[in-house]
Order: sequence, then structure tokens, then C-alpha cells
Amino acid sequence: MAKIKKPVFFIVFALILLFAASVFFGVKTYYGDMETVYIKGIDNIRFGIDIKGGVDVTFTSPEDVDATEAQLDAAKEVIVQRMITLGITDYESYIDYNNDRIIVRFPWKESEKNFDPEAAVKELGETAQLTFREGYETDELGNWTGVTAENVILVGADVKEAYAAYTQNDNGEMNWLVSLELTDEGAKKFGEATSRLAETRGVISIWMDETCFSYPTVQTAITDGKAQITGNFDGEEAKALADKINSGALPFKLVTSSFSTISPSLGAGALEAMVLAGIIAFAFISVFMIITYRLPGAVAVISLFGQVAGTLAFISGYFEFVAGSILTIPGIAGIILAVGMGVDANVITSERIKEELDNGKTLYGAIDSGFKRAFSAILDGNVTMILVAIILMGAFGTPDSIFSKMLKFAFFMFGPSTAGTIYSFGFTLLTGVALNLFFGVFCSRMMISSLSKFKIFKNPKLYGGGAKREV
Amino acid sequence: MRFNFDFIKNRKIYFIISAILISVSLLSTFVFGVNLDIQFKGGTILTFLYDGEINQSEFEKTAVDALGGLGVTSTIGEDFTSGRKNIQLSLISNAGLSSDKQIELTNTITEKYSANSIELLESSDVSPSSGKEFFLKCIVAVILSFIVLVVYIAIRFKNIGGWLAGFCGILALVHDCIIVYGTFVICGMSIDANFMAVILTILGYSINDTIVIYDRVRENEILYRKTKTRAEIVNLSINQSLTRSINTSLTTIMAMLVVTIVAAVYGVDSIFSFSFPMMIGMLCGAYSSICFICPLWYLLSEKMDKIKKKNNRGKKRRHA
Repeated sequence: MAKIKKPVFFIVFALILLFAASVFFGVKTYYGDMETVYIKGIDNIRFGIDIKGGVDVTFTSPEDVDATEAQLDAAKEVIVQRMITLGITDYESYIDYNNDRIIVRFPWKESEKNFDPEAAVKELGETAQLTFREGYETDELGNWTGVTAENVILVGADVKEAYAAYTQNDNGEMNWLVSLELTDEGAKKFGEATSRLAETRGVISIWMDETCFSYPTVQTAITDGKAQITGNFDGEEAKALADKINSGALPFKLVTSSFSTISPSLGAGALEAMVLAGIIAFAFISVFMIITYRLPGAVAVISLFGQVAGTLAFISGYFEFVAGSILTIPGIAGIILAVGMGVDANVITSERIKEELDNGKTLYGAIDSGFKRAFSAILDGNVTMILVAIILMGAFGTPDSIFSKMLKFAFFMFGPSTAGTIYSFGFTLLTGVALNLFFGVFCSRMMISSLSKFKIFKNPKLYGGGAKREV
Repeated sequence: MRFNFDFIKNRKIYFIISAILISVSLLSTFVFGVNLDIQFKGGTILTFLYDGEINQSEFEKTAVDALGGLGVTSTIGEDFTSGRKNIQLSLISNAGLSSDKQIELTNTITEKYSANSIELLESSDVSPSSGKEFFLKCIVAVILSFIVLVVYIAIRFKNIGGWLAGFCGILALVHDCIIVYGTFVICGMSIDANFMAVILTILGYSINDTIVIYDRVRENEILYRKTKTRAEIVNLSINQSLTRSINTSLTTIMAMLVVTIVAAVYGVDSIFSFSFPMMIGMLCGAYSSICFICPLWYLLSEKMDKIKKKNNRGKKRRHA
């Protein structure tokens, strides 16, 4: 690697420091209390419920009911709707169609000291109440008042089916809407109400539990039991609304098949301990590497630092093209394991350089062939890790992720798992090991080769070479 | 540092050590019993924090009454994080405990023991069917990893008899998994998601340790094929990579030791039950690659060669 010039070390070093700084602190601007996040920092990392505390619950249909996919979609939509109502926005939820399961996981709400997870879960599982109400009169809290509170035109049971549809106007633009098919009784009630309200251009508001999501103006009397809700929807929003309305007529009550809560106090201690342990362990590794391997050891510390920063970057969602992941305790273990692999890569290389020096090679020659010979072992070790990580992510990831689809053949008989913790382990391991190949091999090599061009760093002793040979 | 140990000559000692470790691990199942976590077997565990004193049998009775006769067991411990006492209530039911019932139980208990300012710390409820599925899924994941690793090693280490090398690498993994399992059982830790994470990490470390030595064998095989015997090549390779094995294991085990100590000081059980067996597994992974698997691979390679030679001779005779 004779081509690598002296300044390369400083460029690589500065880039790693700059990158790490942006990862740790993020790039944000403040305008008063308004915060605009350009690049997510580590305070944007979302922690799993084993660290932060929270609720993990699996709902299923009752044993004697075989729910259809549409019903499950609808039921999930209700649960999501209710979580938003409860102020829970940081939730995860997915559906296991094979086993009629809906898995929901959400962390503790920080603002509320007396958040009652059991009551919240109970509420989530209850059948949703869809109502069509006259007018749109609410108080400042958004609760219905006046005629809206009194006059309920339709309830969920009056809707036979709701689906998303679209019309095309003359310009070829699509207008999405939700079509409703009412039951006979519903049609009658709706016909009466719309005939009355059409005269005054009245409003009908549509509610799920206590949240209003649409309040169209009545244009004409509708007596044929078919209604349309128009609005500013795109296709997805129209489908979501249709799901919500369908769920109002869900034929079964959801029951909980597994339910865990972890108190935030239990998790907080764990996080603190892990951060402290991580810092001490990193300091220890740094000292050991520098004492044992001197110059290559010091370079190894820099690239390990880059690797850790890179892993955290992938978790926090620093890179726009990769969605971040939730960090759990096994996830932190994955980081530790990957750091261990990073240490190993640097140890293997440093040992090889030492060996080549002892065999009488020149410094340049030793560095060059040291890296070359070490590479096959490092590559094979890291690739096997990557393979295991991919299998874990496929087995324990959300069903729509790429690895899950790849490994569908092996795990076809299983539904999506509730063990998000193991997925997090696979995620941090995969990113950590991949980054190790970049930092521990590529960056380390550039830095060492560049440093070896400096006169003061030409002494083979700095590379662990025992003999007093000149370069 | 240059080492010159004869691992091949001393192989019998290592085989005996491994046999003892494996037997102890497997036998401990019968002596101590396996503590399968409810994540796998299903059931309910509720942990409450409280101050003062609580009569355990009375507490259990309250719970049984609230649940309408379901059997419960309880254990009392101390919560290091908050310095308060905790009582853990576990019940094994065929169907998961519904959230309605759980609320009822928690309400009854918090009301009755309000003087102890009791509060729910943690609750976990898993239905047996989803527990079993999770367990099976873990096993399928491990088996699939094994298959993928064997194939990868077979391809990458063709020149040193890839399939046999892959097979031996997997044997090392099984060896290490059994010993990690034994550590869990002997320490009375429950087999849960942490156990799976440890097993998977050790799989990674152990196969990496083995691969680093294989890599040396692969290289030396090309350099010394004509001048050295197989035993010499294997010994040379293990010794050449020994400093690396020691230094890497030392750093990672020490890093894990830091985590273990900090976890013990903070009293974070969920991390301790993870980092301690991890250390044992790392030690074991390094040992199995150096002392157990490479000599075993040597032994099996020699046997295979003999069989091949015999077949060849047989063929020749028949042709003549």
C-alpha cells in the first residue's frame, strides 16, 4: 500500500471523529422550543420495553372463532386508533394471520406517573364503537355536546360493509372515497336522517369511540342504503378508514393470550448499568490493545470507536435509507459481540504484522502482507456471523421485512414472533459486524499504512516487532 | 511469543476433559432440574414490590381466592435497584390469565396490602401454545444456522476437506451449547430469551475461533504439504494462532467480566443471567476450538484417509 500518503491518517481520523460527533449529538436546530431534527442523534434511539419498561400484549380471537384476514386488519386498526387516543404513539403492532393473533407492544408513557397498563390493555381489546352522529358539536376537550351527543344516527352494527373505492374526474385524477353498504335497518335510519339534514345542508360526524375522523356535509337524501364518505384521502387513508368502520362491526371480542408489563424503574437501572459497563469495558479494551499492540493497537481503538458510533447510527435511524431499530438488552449484547469481533480482527492483523516483521520483512512489506494474510480469517469469521444474524432477523423480525421473506421456507409454520428482543440482537450484530469489515479492516489499514510513512513511526518496535532491524 | 505445545499428542486428555464437562452438564438436568421460563412453557408471573412484612401463606391465599381457586406459588426476594422487598407470584395455567382476571387480582392485592405500599413491578403472561411455538422457532433457527455454517465452511475450506471441517466445527458448537446449558442449569437460571441470546452469541464466537485456526491450517497446508505431516501442520497452526486466541478471548472475557460485575453491583438480574454464562461460553468456545475440535478433526481426517487408501488398494487389486 505504498500509494497511501501521510495525510491519509489525519483525514480518516478526522472523518471518524466528525461522524461519531454527529452520531452522538445529531444535527438539530432550535427555534424557541421548536426542535428540527436533520440528523437523528443517540437521544433519538428508541429503547425496547425491557429497558424502558412497557407493555407487550398479544390479542387473539376467541377459541371458537376463525377470524378472516379482513376482520384481523379491521381489529388491528381499532387497536391502533385507541392507542393514539390514549396518547401512545411509539407503538409496534402486527398481525399473525395464521394464528389469528395481533401483537402489540408499546413503551411506558413518560409523562404519566400513574399510567395503568392493565386498564389500557383492557380498553384496547374491547370492541370498537362506531357511531354516525348528527352535527359536529364538541366542547374544548373534543367530547361531543349538544345534538351530536344526543342524536346517534347509525352504530357499527348498521353497516354491512365498508370499502375503499375511487372515482376518476375528467382530468384523469383519482378521488378516493369510502363506500358504505348499510343493513336494511341502517338504510332506513340513514334515509330518514339524510332527508331531514339535506334540506339544511347539515353535517353528519363519524366517530370511532370518542374520536371523530370525518364530518361530511349531507348533499342529498340517501335512501338506497349506500353511502359514500368523500374527503381528502389517498388510497391508503381510504382503506384505513374503511377498516376502521368495518371493525366497528367486529363479530368477536379480542382476548389476551399473552400479556407482559415491565415497570420503568426495573428498566432504568438496567440501562444505566449497561451504559456504565460499556464505557468501562471500552476503556479496558483500549488500554489492553495499546499496551499489547502499540501503534496498531492505538489505530484499532480509533476504528473500534468508529464501529460503535456506526452501530449506534444504524439503530437511531441516522441513515435515511435504513429504518432504525429498537434497542433492547440482547441488542446491547449484539453490540458487545460485534465489538469483540472488531477487537479480534485487529488482534489477528496486529499479530500477523508482528509475525511478518519477525520473519525479517521490511515494515511496509510486513504491514502489507500482514493485512493480506489476516483478511481471509477475518472475512470467514465475520461472514459466518452475518449469516447467523440474518437467520435471527428472519426468524424473529416483522413478517414484512426482507429477511423474513427470504427465510419463509424455514419458518413458514410459525407466525410472527413476540420476541422482538432477539431481532434486536440480530440487527446490532449484523450492522456491527458489517461495519467491522469497513472500520476494522479498511480504515485500520489506511491509517496504519499512512502512519508508517512518518519517520517517528518507522521503528518496528512500535508494531511489536522484536528484532532491532532497520527498515 | 512463540508457542510449541503438542496438541495432537495430548488429545486424549482434552477428549476426557470435554467428556467430563459434557456429562456433568447433561447430568445436572436430573440433579437440579430444568427451570424452563414461562416464555417457553406458558404461565403467569406477577412481581410486586412492597415495604414491611408480608405473611407469605396469607398472601398466597388472597391470590387463590381472587383467582377463584387457581393454584399459585410465591417467592420472596429483594429488589436491589430500589432496596425494597419483592414477592413473586407464579401460576401455571393451561389458558393464559385474561387481563380482566389479572386486574382483579392486582386490585385485590393492592387494596389488601395498601399498608405495605405494594405495587406491581412486572407481569408476564404467556399462553402455553405461544410459548411452545417460540421455543420451537428458536430451535429451528439454531438448526438452520448449523446447516448454513456447515455449507459455508465446506465451500471456503475445500482444500482441508471442507465437509469434515464443517462437521467438526458444528460438533464444537454442540459441545459449547451443552456446557452453556449446564451453566444455566447448575446456576438455577431459567431457560429464557436470555439463554437463547447467549447460545447464539457463543455459536458466533466458537465458530469464529474454529475458523481462525482452520484458516491457518488452510494456509499451512499449501505451504508445507510436501514437507510436514498432517499432525505437524495442525500443531503448527494451533500454536501460530494461539497468541491471537488468548488475546482475543482475554479482551472479550474481561469486557464481559466488567459487564457482569457492574450488573451484579446494580443488581440487574436480567443482565447478570446473560453475561455470566456468556463468559463461561466464551472460555469454553476458545477451549473447544483449540484443544478439542482441531485434534478431533485431525483424528477423523486420518481415519478418512485410511479408509480411502483401503478402497483404492481394493480397487487396484480388482483391476489387476
